[in-house]
Amino acid sequence: MLVHSRKARWAVWAVFLVLFLPLFALPLLVVLGASFATHWSGVLPSHLTTANYRSATRGEALQALTTSLLTAITASLLALTVGTWAALAGAALRKRYRRLLDALFVLPVAVPSVVVGLSVLVAFSQPPMLLNGTRWIVIVAHTVLVTAFAHQSVSAAITRLDPAYEQAAASLGARPSYVLWRVRLPLLLPSLTAAAGLCFALSMGELSATMMLYPPDWTPLPVLVYAATDRGALFTGSAVAVVLMTATLLVLFAVSRVRTRASYR
Amino acid sequence: MAEAVQNARAARGPVRPRGGGHGPDTVRRSRGALLWALPPVALLALFFLYPLALVVRQSFRPDSGGTSLQPYADVFASEAFRHALWTTVWLAGASTAGCLALGFALALVIAFVPFPGAKAVARFIDVYLSFPSFLITLALLFIYGTTGIVGSFQFLTTPWGVLLAEVTYFTPFVMRPLLAAFSQLDTAQLEAASSLGARAPRIVRQVILPEALPALAAGGSLVLVLCLNEFGIVLFTGAKGVTTLPMLVYGKAILESDYPGACVVAVVNVLISVGLYGLYRVVSRRAGA
Amino acid sequence: MGIRFDSVTVAYDGNVVLDSLDLTVGPGEVMALLGPSGSGKTTALRAVAGFVRPASGRVLLGGRDVTDLPPYRRGIGMVVQQYALFPHLRVDDNVAFGLKARRSPKVSRSGIRQRVAEALEMTGMAAYARRHPRELSGGQQQRVAIARALAIRPDVLLLDEPLSALDAQLRSGMLAELARLHRELPDVSMLYVTHDQVEALTLADRIAVMDKARLQACGTPRELYRAPANEFTASFVGNANLLPVTVGAGGVGFAGTELKVDTADAVAGARATLCVRPHLVGLGEGPNRLAGVVREIQWRGATHRLYVEVDGHAVMADVRELKDPPRHGDPVSLHFAPDDAVLLPAGMSHG
Repeated sequence: MLVHSRKARWAVWAVFLVLFLPLFALPLLVVLGASFATHWSGVLPSHLTTANYRSATRGEALQALTTSLLTAITASLLALTVGTWAALAGAALRKRYRRLLDALFVLPVAVPSVVVGLSVLVAFSQPPMLLNGTRWIVIVAHTVLVTAFAHQSVSAAITRLDPAYEQAAASLGARPSYVLWRVRLPLLLPSLTAAAGLCFALSMGELSATMMLYPPDWTPLPVLVYAATDRGALFTGSAVAVVLMTATLLVLFAVSRVRTRASYR
Repeated sequence: MAEAVQNARAARGPVRPRGGGHGPDTVRRSRGALLWALPPVALLALFFLYPLALVVRQSFRPDSGGTSLQPYADVFASEAFRHALWTTVWLAGASTAGCLALGFALALVIAFVPFPGAKAVARFIDVYLSFPSFLITLALLFIYGTTGIVGSFQFLTTPWGVLLAEVTYFTPFVMRPLLAAFSQLDTAQLEAASSLGARAPRIVRQVILPEALPALAAGGSLVLVLCLNEFGIVLFTGAKGVTTLPMLVYGKAILESDYPGACVVAVVNVLISVGLYGLYRVVSRRAGA
Repeated sequence: MGIRFDSVTVAYDGNVVLDSLDLTVGPGEVMALLGPSGSGKTTALRAVAGFVRPASGRVLLGGRDVTDLPPYRRGIGMVVQQYALFPHLRVDDNVAFGLKARRSPKVSRSGIRQRVAEALEMTGMAAYARRHPRELSGGQQQRVAIARALAIRPDVLLLDEPLSALDAQLRSGMLAELARLHRELPDVSMLYVTHDQVEALTLADRIAVMDKARLQACGTPRELYRAPANEFTASFVGNANLLPVTVGAGGVGFAGTELKVDTADAVAGARATLCVRPHLVGLGEGPNRLAGVVREIQWRGATHRLYVEVDGHAVMADVRELKDPPRHGDPVSLHFAPDDAVLLPAGMSHG
């Protein structure tokens, strides 16, 4: 323990709370509070209601929720497949090539998402691959954006994997493909689910590239939140945002349940 | 994104040499391994590199036809672009500095002056990282907006509002790798230092800070790049006065349909971000981080 | 099926870690590779397993050149220091892993079950078949690792420091178990890598002593102990007093004293090293007497270890527990029988 005197400790904690609560807890509480209100000009929201949720869970909003879930699930699964494949292939490469591969796959993190959106828009608005106006252009952009994260976390997990397991399996007569399916992938399972959860959360909240790309019949939740805020419907927007957070958390929770079971085995 | 921070840290830890080092084993890794790496690279090339190349090409093709540097000249000449460039850079710099200072202080308390519930706070930070950035601006709209709690003053439409939102949203990105680094710090070191009579500020400066530097560098550089690229926070303030490069890309492409112009701004934005990120990766590898 | 190293050289990035090793392990023989860390012993084992590829030379298993075969086609069993049990599989699935991976048409499903049961029975782990590895103690995990390696009925078993993760008491128990397994499976050749001389002396039919990437000596434990070929072997296989001497006629000169030892093929006047095991050094008067001063005395229960300074050289003597031990600084006499000393060529440093 760094601070020994009792008084100093309380002082430190007080400063911590003063910084932490308004900065991090308050915003979430405000959005939550606003989602149950129609008016907020005092300290507390007023005219409490659940009407915001009635409109946030049906019609347009419900469709946006489905859209977001489908996009996020598809994009995370695609990204996980490509990212894991790249990470596994990279682990077998020589150092020079591996670095090149890592650099290539980390690039989408550094490139602004808006630019990823723009580039996908430019590339797929023309033949031979005309995706503009379809849901696939959104899914492609999301996949590109989250693949980098999937690749990074899986390749970090592969580096941590003790080569003794693979070698024990090989000495027992298992060919590389058998080792991959029966040893390496099962051992990587916790990291794979963690990566999937991360990709899913990122895709659920993706706004920048989506704003450039979304067709009218494929509007994800963040776009809807923005649309509501933009026309001044802040309280409805908050309710939609809470639905977005809840959906994300529920899926993350489910994924972490799978992970605990996977690592317990 | 959180994971990226953590990985930057994990890469520091003791990493087992793979399969007996880079000696005789590598001989067997033949062309087969390269072939296996081909499919994902091809996909990345098709859906990421090729579109990016098209953006670069488009930036040299003004609407009037032909290939020229005209779009660059036009964009660089415009007041709006220069203003956006400056706003983006100083906002990102200031936000990163704010996140580093705040994140270091908060992580220090959680790790070394633990209180009941400190663990829950650490977990809360993980959850926080999985929310989209625009939620923060949405909340700030209620607090500082025109009809808000604090009252009707235009704080949010100034760069300071964006700065507050960015510091709020990105601080946990610094805290997470720091907490991971602190958890590896040997408490015996701290006890030894304090038994030798060192006071808290001195311990922080001479024992904790050096240990935390790689994590700070990793978190800080990531936050810098993310701030340079941040879009949602700025979009949600609805402020006309605060325009950053990503906003300019969006505005030019979607609102003005000026694709060559949008592509020029995009190229500049990519160069800055990728340049900084690349610099960080080179520096951190040199430093053995 | 025997193992043969045919001048095997292994290098990492130009660093030679195994220097032209020539060694043959006969069918059913237990060969210990004994040496300090970095001596190349583990590299030699990994070359047999197929995890390192020799820069030159060949590895033969039962007369077949396997140098270019990948590990999974070599058909060897291997047990490593950290066991490397698959944490996501239960004990019986771990043991069945090799049988399932090979998909041998000769072994049916019930055959696999039977072989797993057999292997677990043999290592005394039958009661733990449905446990996960993390639910087992270190010693139990070790048994499962051995069962897993034996289930594929290998002709060659490689053991890489298999006991070094266990505490001292478990270690001696497992040592007895391994000796029993060897008696029950007399046809399996074993290559046993260790840095512990007790393990090597207890278990091995022959010991190959390695140091600095080279084979230093190879022989039965008795040969190596009684008549080591060089200073390194003498000091690494058991304790040894290594005294610098000058060869004379029918004896050697040490610290101005004439000592009677066998100088069979040494040239008179040459410098040499005399190796005497501490427990063969007696306290008091006798043949080959050395006079010195006690510098340190350690009581080890059944024995006393004396460090006696003889003309600037420390000489160790392990004697049966003394009723009235000499004290620090006391002058004492030591002696040893002429046929208990071995004359070694000088100049090779030890350690």
